[in-house]
This record gives sequence, C-alpha cells and structure tokens, in this order.
Amino acid sequence: MMNSDTALATGMFALPMIAMALFLFVWCLMGLIAFYLSSRARHGKSRGAFELERNARGLMLLKNWLSPAQLRSYEKHEYFEVVGGDSGVIYRIHHGKQANVEQLDGLGASVCAWCFVPEGDLVPGDVMLAQKIGLETNERAALAVAVKYLTLRSQSRGTHARPLSLVS
Amino acid sequence: MAIQIVMDRMGDTRHTFDAGDRIAVEKAKKRFMELTEAGFTAAVRTGPGEQRIIRSFDPSVEETLFHPRLVGG
Repeated sequence: MMNSDTALATGMFALPMIAMALFLFVWCLMGLIAFYLSSRARHGKSRGAFELERNARGLMLLKNWLSPAQLRSYEKHEYFEVVGGDSGVIYRIHHGKQANVEQLDGLGASVCAWCFVPEGDLVPGDVMLAQKIGLETNERAALAVAVKYLTLRSQSRGTHARPLSLVS
Repeated sequence: MAIQIVMDRMGDTRHTFDAGDRIAVEKAKKRFMELTEAGFTAAVRTGPGEQRIIRSFDPSVEETLFHPRLVGG
C-alpha cells in the first residue's frame, strides 16, 4: 500500500517535471533555430552591402581612367572601345569580367572575342580597366595570354562560347 | 599627396604618401618593388584616358595604379 502510494506520488511529481523539461527543450531549440536564421539573414545582408561597395569602388576607378568618349560610351551602352597599342586594331570592352573583349574590323563588325583577366577575384570595373591598360599599352603581351573565342559569351544565347581554336 | 592604388578583391586599396617625407617615400618605393616583383603592372595617367606603364618607382608621380598580372580566361 505504501509502495503504491509512493509510486503514485512520484508519478504525479515526475510527469509534470518531464513535460516541463520537454517544453523547455523545444523552446530552447526553437530559440536557437531563430537565432541561427536571423544571423544568417544578417550575414547575407552585410555580404550584399559588401558586394555593392566593392563593385561601386571598381566602377568609380574605371570611370576615372576612361577618356571622355570612352566614359560616354560606357554609360550609354555598357561598353567602350580602345585602340590596340601595337596594331591599331579596335577592341570593344563590354561590361563584365570574362570573355568580354570583342575585336572589331574596320567597319565595326565583330571579328572574334578575347578572354584575358587580371589574376584574383576582382570586380568588373577593375577587370575592364586592366584590360584597357593591357590593350592600349602592351597589346601583344595581353593577347599572348588571352584565349580567343568565336563570339562574346553574351551573344552566344546563354551557352558558353567555344574557344576559336576548337571551332572547326 | 601622392597615391598608390592597388586593385584587390575590395575593389582597390589606396596608399597615400607625402612626396616630401623621406620615410614615406621609402615605404612607397618598397611597396612598388614588392608589387611589381609579385607580377603587378604599374600604370600612370598621362592624359584623359591615356596611360603608360612604369617599371621603376618615381616619387614625383601623383597617382600610380597597380593591377595584377593578366592571364587567359
């Protein structure tokens, strides 16, 4: 009789305790999940701001180094033209950071595209400025490392342009 | 004040120095040497939209831009 009373009393005490512990556990777990999600959102937001800032810095630097005509063209069309320092050939540098240099013929028609970029994870403004400096001051060296493409990537309708050496 | 602009993943990093300060000039020269030895190209503006490459440090240049080595994409 004593034992069953004790067991009953223990059960009446233990069950609410277990329920409370479970409730606390779930509450803490939800709090941790909410904290994790909000910190991820904060990190994403600051990363977005970081990307915007570094892109803006790159574009500001590029614009400071363009000629007035190149700047007008870039602001209107998102490309500008440079004259190769060695050959006099005209290249059109499109906004971008990969396979964005187009070689033009005397009539302004596209001949091919070139891909050469400065090493490292640089923003488009920096990439385009390095391409401009390379073509205008040391065209041969720039093209010596470049990969030649049949067309610009943006003109290949979403597919990757093939290097000219691979195009039959 | 003279400035050295180094392209990097932040967009660029700018180092200003007083061309009349011997210690600052030495520091700028050391930076120039280190960057060019690491493959960076140093360019200076010669007019609107015009530039030339320099191979040695010139303390009288007001603005020097360093871009990393060009590689095929």
